[in-house]
Amino acid sequence: MSTIPREEWDKYPDIEITLNVNGKDYRVKVKPYERLLDVLRYKLGFTGVKEGCGRGECGACVILMDGKLVPSCLVLAERANGSKILTVEGLAPEGKLHAIQKALLDTYAVQCGFCFPGVILAIKALLDRNPNPTDEEIKDALSGQLCRCGSYLRFIKAVKLAAQYIREGKEYFDESEVRR
Amino acid sequence: MGGGSDLLVLIRSGIVKANTVLDLWPLRKELAYIKREKGTVRIGALTTISELCESDLIKDIRYAGLADVCKKFSTPFIRNIATVGGNVGAAHPLSDMVLMLLVLNGKVKLLSKNGKRVVDITKFFKGKRQTVRNYDEIIAEVSFTEAPPNSSTAFIKFDRRWGHAMGYVLVGAYMQLHDNIIEDVRIAFDSMGNPYPERAWKTEEFLKGNEFSDELIKQALNDVLPKEMKRITDYRASAEYRLDLSKVLLRRALLKIKSRIEGGD
Repeated sequence: MSTIPREEWDKYPDIEITLNVNGKDYRVKVKPYERLLDVLRYKLGFTGVKEGCGRGECGACVILMDGKLVPSCLVLAERANGSKILTVEGLAPEGKLHAIQKALLDTYAVQCGFCFPGVILAIKALLDRNPNPTDEEIKDALSGQLCRCGSYLRFIKAVKLAAQYIREGKEYFDESEVRR
Repeated sequence: MGGGSDLLVLIRSGIVKANTVLDLWPLRKELAYIKREKGTVRIGALTTISELCESDLIKDIRYAGLADVCKKFSTPFIRNIATVGGNVGAAHPLSDMVLMLLVLNGKVKLLSKNGKRVVDITKFFKGKRQTVRNYDEIIAEVSFTEAPPNSSTAFIKFDRRWGHAMGYVLVGAYMQLHDNIIEDVRIAFDSMGNPYPERAWKTEEFLKGNEFSDELIKQALNDVLPKEMKRITDYRASAEYRLDLSKVLLRRALLKIKSRIEGGD
């Protein structure tokens, strides 16, 4: 944790853990107080994991850990040992966009974009378990994702559009299909 | 530490100084379960809120209050790591799960090297973030007796928005009706005067055994509840507002339970 003074950092032993991030295995040494957020972002370079509040309130840092949406700022790295992690980088194959990303673009939901990695993964978690959500279910599923630009109403449209794309069997889009 | 959604925040903001934290997560294999046997519901301390919400338990109309909790408990991603035992152990007044356990006559099982003991949840809290748990004990399980038929529960949290809210006032209630007579009733608020959730004993006593009517509830809310409840004023809401809100929400909760028992929602 960042509250541990710098001179005490070395007092804690290193723990070697294995993480499967976006389908690739990584072995990484972590300290017992380190958050999964810091390991993913600073040690492994997955900068799609954003730090917003650092206390589980804003939803910018959420990732899918073993298929479950969790805030990476409140998960100690050591606890993630051996788990499968999906960040926004791993959502679609290289050079393609996922239906959720395409839908968010189509509905002009993106403004500053800082909350988006979290929003996209929250939508993914929702659509994975409920391919055809109602407005209420969308609102509940995204209730933890704070967007200070205020794109909330467009999120609802986007989720419905993404659900439609996936139902139609179009999960990934090429670059040429995406609005410029 | 259970899920860590509370403790890690406290450590990071410097409120709790911890040299050593014992993470119980590896015990999930043994301590994450929901069992219903011999008329008792037992929930392992490391069961996450979302596991509870996906279980069959909350589909039972008697535990509709737990389903209310599921809708209002923080955010979907916190529900994935927050645990039932952690919610009890955190001993925060605004603990949704604790309120439901209070009205369901919940019991907390504590384990230590020297054995186990079971504490009634009404006697579990000592103060804000203080419980009777000793340092060498862990919360292993919460349990309650299955509610009888003709009974139901409700939980209401009031805040400016629906999701992701702490709540100005929280109320949990359980009621058993028989021919419109209140056989049994249990009411819990986030605070009755102490900084931890408690039951509204006198209001319960007043309602018990009487016929369910608007008149009776009005009397309980205006004459009995204000006498035993002491609310505080802080930056979030004033004491008058909280007391007024408590009355309104209790009324709503009781009406909701009545309609649930009668087959509606």
